Amino acid sequence: MSDYVLQTEDVAVHYGGVRAVDGVEITLQRGQIRGLIGPNGSGKSTVIDAITGRRRLTRGKVLLRGEDVNAMGIVERRRRGLSRSFQRTSIFGQMPVRKQVELASSMMGSADPGADADEVLRELSLDTRGATIAADLGYGEQRRLDLAIALAGRPAVLLLDEPMAGLSMRESLDLARHLKALTARREVSVLLVEHDMDVVFGISDVVTVFELGRVIAAGTPAEVRANARVREAYLGSAA
Amino acid sequence: MNLPRLLLSTTVALALGVAVALGVHSATLLSLLTQAAIHAIFALGVGLLLRQNGMVSFGHALFFGAAGYVVAILLRVKAVPAETAMLLAVLGSTAFAFLIGLVIVRVPGIAFGMLTLAIGQMAYLGASRSRGLTGGADGISVEWPSALFGMPTATLLQPWAMLLLAWSVLVLVLLMLALLLRGHFGALTEATRDNEERARFIGIRTLLPRATVYALSAGITSLAGVLAALNTGFVSPESLHWSLSGVALMMVVVGGTRVLWGPALGAAVYFLAKDLLGDHAQHWMAIFGVALIVVIVFAPTGLSGLLLRLVRASPGGAAPRPGV
Repeated sequence: MSDYVLQTEDVAVHYGGVRAVDGVEITLQRGQIRGLIGPNGSGKSTVIDAITGRRRLTRGKVLLRGEDVNAMGIVERRRRGLSRSFQRTSIFGQMPVRKQVELASSMMGSADPGADADEVLRELSLDTRGATIAADLGYGEQRRLDLAIALAGRPAVLLLDEPMAGLSMRESLDLARHLKALTARREVSVLLVEHDMDVVFGISDVVTVFELGRVIAAGTPAEVRANARVREAYLGSAA
Repeated sequence: MNLPRLLLSTTVALALGVAVALGVHSATLLSLLTQAAIHAIFALGVGLLLRQNGMVSFGHALFFGAAGYVVAILLRVKAVPAETAMLLAVLGSTAFAFLIGLVIVRVPGIAFGMLTLAIGQMAYLGASRSRGLTGGADGISVEWPSALFGMPTATLLQPWAMLLLAWSVLVLVLLMLALLLRGHFGALTEATRDNEERARFIGIRTLLPRATVYALSAGITSLAGVLAALNTGFVSPESLHWSLSGVALMMVVVGGTRVLWGPALGAAVYFLAKDLLGDHAQHWMAIFGVALIVVIVFAPTGLSGLLLRLVRASPGGAAPRPGV
């Protein structure tokens, strides 16, 4: 049995002649947060799409708890504990907040989806908004709802694609604090794609850096910050 | 709406039907109300598809007319008792819709509407030209037996009894839908309608719920078709024509789909307008068309949505949520 909850082996996704990602190897241990950083178009979101089954692999393998999930569709992967959020807020606009989180939990086979939904909403400070139609929430609340849907049902792995996109600095830090606490409490492993470097270096256990579809560095936040190639290719003065 | 309130509303509605059926003595008015109730069931079918799948059908008359034809043909060849023929018409339409639904509900937006239009018009042309089976453009009369469900058919066809039957079916269909949609199935279909990709990413196989809604909406529409065949004793290709689907869609738009009973309200308004305006204007549909535009522009959630807003805005008014 693999020590990793999630593992990619030599993953490649090509669009015609364009290599979106190539030779990507990522591992994720139980409870670990791995930040994925890199310039726009470097392949971070494509990796998430490939892992969740939204994009077909040209080459390579995705292993979830040691099981090859390449032949599985999106639904099977989700039911095996692979969950994700999206770069653009993806919620069920006309449904009440609690109802959709409860549904997401029940689809994961939760014994008590209602209690699970209440817990997730409380942890994301949305417990007073349970009866609100999602479209009536503010943008920051919608981003938290997106996260709540992804967290419902206690997935083993959470892939977050720019969860802080469009949030103010204060909202970002607030969500990052929630995220760190939640993942620790729920023992969920996280792949986090994010452009907010303060957030990524603040909450990640390890960081992987992408450039032109390839991994150019990986390590602890301190190691990545100190990496000359990373500083040159991406971080620059931000580091 | 909670369960006791739902059951109470159903009981009150059924009692109202009894009161109107027995209290109104004008055969013309009873006939008008019966037609409105039958078309309200038809509109409920079309509205269900829009409400739960977000899909617009331009061909639901297929199920309305086909159900009538199935009953008429089965009774003509004396294949099965009338009650069985009625059941087969509804179940057959539902099963057929489920099978084609597995294919066509995958098609998004306007293309889905065009597919339903094409399938419906194929049936219309087929019925118009199969003279030996369907009577062609002349239609076919339905040879009802002397007794139905243990009652003399002549009694059942009395205007008051037809109204009572159609109204009761309408109320019971609403109850069935309310019970079905308040549970897991309702949540599945709402999520799929709102955001199909996200629905798949939370583990929903979206095809089956969508095809089931399509089948259910066809089944309800076919129930209306069977009642129409009972009411008029006649089926013609016009009952399959796209223009009838269009009328049902108009009822849905006028009534709205924020609440389940919205399309039924639209049907009632349509028949009321037809009766009132038809007496004064030859082209009453033109006036109704203007009313339709006004509703779309000023009350995009339909009259039921407008009513909800008015209730919410009234002093001490509760804040009803979209639902039953």
